Amino acid sequence: MREVYAAGVGITSFTRLEYPLVEIAAYPAMMALLDAGLKAVDQVYVANMGSARLNSQTALASAVVDTLGLTPAGAERIENGPASGASAVKQGFLGVASGMYEAVLVTGCERMREVNNLEATDFVATMTHPLAEYVYGVTLPAHAAMFTRLYMQRYGVTERHLAMVAVKNHANAMKNRFAHLHQPITIEGILDSPEAFTNNPYVSEPLRFFDCCPVSDGGAAVILASREKMAELGKPLIRLAGLGQATDTLAVFERPDPTDLLAVRRSAAAAFAMAGLTPSDVQVAELHDAFTILEIAESEEAGFFPKGEGHLALEKGVTSLGGALPINPSGGLKGKGHPVGATGIGQVHEIVTQLRGEAGDRQVAGAKVGFTCNFGGFGNNVISMVFVREE
Amino acid sequence: MERQIYAYACRRCGALHYPFRMVCRECGDNGPHEFDPVPLPKEGTLLTFTFVHNLPAEYEVARLGLGVVELSNGLRMLGQLEIADPRLGMKVVGEVKVVRQEAYERRYGMVFRAA
Repeated sequence: MREVYAAGVGITSFTRLEYPLVEIAAYPAMMALLDAGLKAVDQVYVANMGSARLNSQTALASAVVDTLGLTPAGAERIENGPASGASAVKQGFLGVASGMYEAVLVTGCERMREVNNLEATDFVATMTHPLAEYVYGVTLPAHAAMFTRLYMQRYGVTERHLAMVAVKNHANAMKNRFAHLHQPITIEGILDSPEAFTNNPYVSEPLRFFDCCPVSDGGAAVILASREKMAELGKPLIRLAGLGQATDTLAVFERPDPTDLLAVRRSAAAAFAMAGLTPSDVQVAELHDAFTILEIAESEEAGFFPKGEGHLALEKGVTSLGGALPINPSGGLKGKGHPVGATGIGQVHEIVTQLRGEAGDRQVAGAKVGFTCNFGGFGNNVISMVFVREE
Repeated sequence: MERQIYAYACRRCGALHYPFRMVCRECGDNGPHEFDPVPLPKEGTLLTFTFVHNLPAEYEVARLGLGVVELSNGLRMLGQLEIADPRLGMKVVGEVKVVRQEAYERRYGMVFRAA
């Protein structure tokens, strides 16, 4: 396999966007091409989960490649639930690593706010088991809530720990101009004050409003290129050194241990093995905190902390900006937003920006190794990646 | 006749599955359609639960109870709860009822109450 590098990145604000889905894919793609100094690529991958249902548009990749003027490059849309973004990066990686392509564009996009909140929640719930889960009215917040209840009972995680994740990630998002939520919050305001229950009502007990990511529109893109191509471009050498993917049962209740995110553990282990690195080598991580509990659980399954101790590291500030291992400096899904098809590429955008040393106020000093975890379904299709800055 | 939800027993090794799958998780050896339907038991223990407040539009209730139940034969399933104050580990008993009313269709599933 050839080595593969991130040559350029681009992103839109994650927010409510009032322009067509194709443009949400194309703007970050243009920024990524400009960043890389490229006018053409061999292949385009478009990550998206909901265009057919939310935006009444199919064959999205044909529209994106055309609007960018990149024809006759090949183009495909990749749909893999909320892991669509990392799945598309994986396809791009394989295209370049195999020697078939020199440079590919991977762009992700989602326009979820074209429908109302209830429809968006129902749309996301269609990724659950149709007969054994979806039919009961289960939502992704409900899955996360049932998982949280067990985590609380078994490991001593409290509502206060969950709120600490939200406060941290909102604070990080304040330093990211592309983030959806520019709203500083406090433990007092969402948990302790007499108004806290009004400010922060239940979405699915015990999870509250500020435990859940927002419903966002947005796009993010990355150009992947071979070593030979990188030599022409003269950009910093950020290598996609490890990539692991693992699946698990579709119905969450079928797993032997319901608090075990086996696919996160397996995908992270595979990514570290491929990179020849360990979790202790990582200086910055972007985890899939669609719900606050997931940042805590993934930080354990990825190998950064022992099982059941992620919330203790959070308490000590280890995962804050300035801590030993900052997690979600971008604001994460919680603060930066979660346009489902773009999220995995948004994580790559942040890690590449961090490893280049271009993250401004939220820069993790001297970061050379970064990690991403893009969590599809409720842990049934997970992709982890390790990025390394080469000198 | 009482409505049932079915588990699927592998004809080669006897392993029970719920929900339906095409290849046995235990022996991995069976061809298509080599499963026998077996009614799920109705009694079980509540493993975890939630009350959902942001429901899909079809649900005209303020909040909906959902829980994972370990049934008496060891299989687990998700069901709706008609229990005001659920507790982890409580004994429950299920009944097959309408769980989702769509525009032209009623969907049935298991609804649990305290045993």
